[in-house]
Amino acid sequence: MKSTPIAIGFVILAVVFFVVAALYATGVLQILSSGSGVHIKHAILFAVLAVASLIAANFTRQRAV
Amino acid sequence: MTFAQALFMGLLQGATELFPVSSLGHSVIIPSLLHWKFKQSDPTFLPFLVLLHLGTAGALLVLYRDQWLAITRGFFTAAVRGRITTPPERLAMLLLTGTIPAGILGVFFETRIKSLFASPHVAAVFLVVNGFLMLGFELLRRRAERRAALDSKPRAEQEQGFAEAERISFVAAALVGACQALAFLPGISRSGVTIGGGLLAGLRHQEAARFSFLLATPIIAAAGLVEVPQLFASGVPVGEYIAGALLSGAAAYVSARFLLRYFRSGRLDPYGWYCVAAGLLSLGLLALNL
Repeated sequence: MKSTPIAIGFVILAVVFFVVAALYATGVLQILSSGSGVHIKHAILFAVLAVASLIAANFTRQRAV
Repeated sequence: MTFAQALFMGLLQGATELFPVSSLGHSVIIPSLLHWKFKQSDPTFLPFLVLLHLGTAGALLVLYRDQWLAITRGFFTAAVRGRITTPPERLAMLLLTGTIPAGILGVFFETRIKSLFASPHVAAVFLVVNGFLMLGFELLRRRAERRAALDSKPRAEQEQGFAEAERISFVAAALVGACQALAFLPGISRSGVTIGGGLLAGLRHQEAARFSFLLATPIIAAAGLVEVPQLFASGVPVGEYIAGALLSGAAAYVSARFLLRYFRSGRLDPYGWYCVAAGLLSLGLLALNL
């Protein structure tokens, strides 16, 4: 399924995930986490999701032949 | 925890982590049946679990070192190129797809679910449930064999009628990965549900086991590595814990080798019956407080 809008969507998603990862890593975001402070596991998860979104964007982007 | 208990727990964890019989269930039930006094809620117990899991992950990395090299290379190649051309590249992307739902569910729900159900009685009940799940997976597999007219053939030929791990669909890989969340319930086996999921997705038994072990490695290793700083907390008997972890790794390695050989023609049934019997026996012993 090659589509430029879908690829752009994945890139936007990746940016959002990176921001959320940074917020968890700095302790600003506490949603769905136990206790307060820095949440490394959450940060790693969202960083992985961001990378996966970039990979998905690369898979879905249309290429010049 | 004494040195002997640390070694026993390491052996138990390593041996039961990969067998479809629930390591968490066994590590909750057996110390309770033996009336061991150490508390699993103790702050120094978490580093022990971390090391045991790192031992298991290390064993799996050693066992599949060549495949992991190919998978890692395939991952970067496919990610940069944006296209899958070889089986290791496909396997790498399947593992990523399967790891994401497991990671999401693990990060957000694992601690809460484990703390809700961490009692030996509940673990024994779920062990029985796990047994019936294994038997159910095999029941469905036998139906698939009948549909494919394989039921009258020898086991080796029956298995050849099913697919290799690289052929599983991405949706199935995500579902198998999500199945790992069931193992947050003590008594439900992570490897059991993922092997069962692989069977439902049409994999050979041995390939379902291989996919399950490969899928487990990043999650187990990452969960362990993140908690490594806990090892440096004061009061942690690092020497005893490392001995337990080494034994856990050795047991996991031997278990994985055995299971991959067993699943060339073996089925999940014996493990299913074992879980039903062990769960019922544990419930009886716990009720009698022996």
